[in-house]
Amino acid sequence: MKPSPEVPLPVEPEINTLHAAEFARELRRVSETLPPRINIDAQSVEQGLAKLVLTLIEFIRRLLEKQAVRRMEGGDLAPEQIEELGLALMKLEEKMRELKAQFGLAEEDLNLDLGPIGRLI
Amino acid sequence: MNLYAYCLGDEATAVAVGDVAGVAGARPRLVARAGLTAVVSEYGEERIAVTREGVLAHERVVRRVLAETTPLPFRFGTIVSEARLESYLDTQQAKLKAQLARVRGAVEMSVKIIWNREAAGAGAEEPAGGSGTRFLMKKRRELLGEGEAEGRAAEVDAWLGRALEGLARESLVSLRPSENLILAAAHLVERGLLADYRRALGRARTERPELHFLTSGAWPPYSFTRVDP
Repeated sequence: MKPSPEVPLPVEPEINTLHAAEFARELRRVSETLPPRINIDAQSVEQGLAKLVLTLIEFIRRLLEKQAVRRMEGGDLAPEQIEELGLALMKLEEKMRELKAQFGLAEEDLNLDLGPIGRLI
Repeated sequence: MNLYAYCLGDEATAVAVGDVAGVAGARPRLVARAGLTAVVSEYGEERIAVTREGVLAHERVVRRVLAETTPLPFRFGTIVSEARLESYLDTQQAKLKAQLARVRGAVEMSVKIIWNREAAGAGAEEPAGGSGTRFLMKKRRELLGEGEAEGRAAEVDAWLGRALEGLARESLVSLRPSENLILAAAHLVERGLLADYRRALGRARTERPELHFLTSGAWPPYSFTRVDP
């Protein structure tokens, strides 16, 4: 049975904003995570494994950041230690950004659904 | 020779393709199988670079179909052999027909909302210290602000839902409280309700001058489709 005809549309979509430069900036940040070449076939298995591994690394990285902030607030760290720890965590964040971009993963891709417990991150 | 796959539909798709040029200038053709119609074109490579030209060619073909009927769009860069495509259509026809029923007569509209957190925090002093210290201070501010930001994103999500109540068949919302772009929503909207949807969205925008909106559409229903041969 042929489906009934649908309401036709104009060919071009409407795009509406008063803040084009702001959105261009934000969306460019997202597009920087896309890989330069795409092969859906080979990438899907590799990407699935990368997603799992990077999710776990991201979870641990965020725990380390929170612990560092708690120690800083608690007065446990000398100024030089704060600087050294901050630099190490900053480099770790940058490395994670590179790895996410390499595998074409956005920040929201790095999460695990633990069912009733909720999401990992 | 491989095929570059644009979208899937049913008998209505056949009349919509026309003579539009596809990826690498190839003319799209149809692969009909199991009551489904795939729009494809010949493609000689295994991979395709993400270029503006390629993406626009993909979108041009899918939009030509969308002007007449709502297809299930493939993601950009879906390259497949004809044998594999036919096998996919044969084995997945029930699921694909269910997906087509889900999106029939509707299109995807996009709403993105920025909360200008820099304007909200204007005047906050840059902490002293080296780059490592400033990094940790920034993380401290983020952690303190996280709870507040989550509440704000949830409130905006609920408000938008009320503003568009009854106008979207389905909604998919992504909240990013820690980012400037706090909300990205995809709405599946009946073609016949598009004018009402746009009016409701226009009214809603005027209610919240502190939020910056990017609205767009109609798009093919990428967010509501899962096709992966």
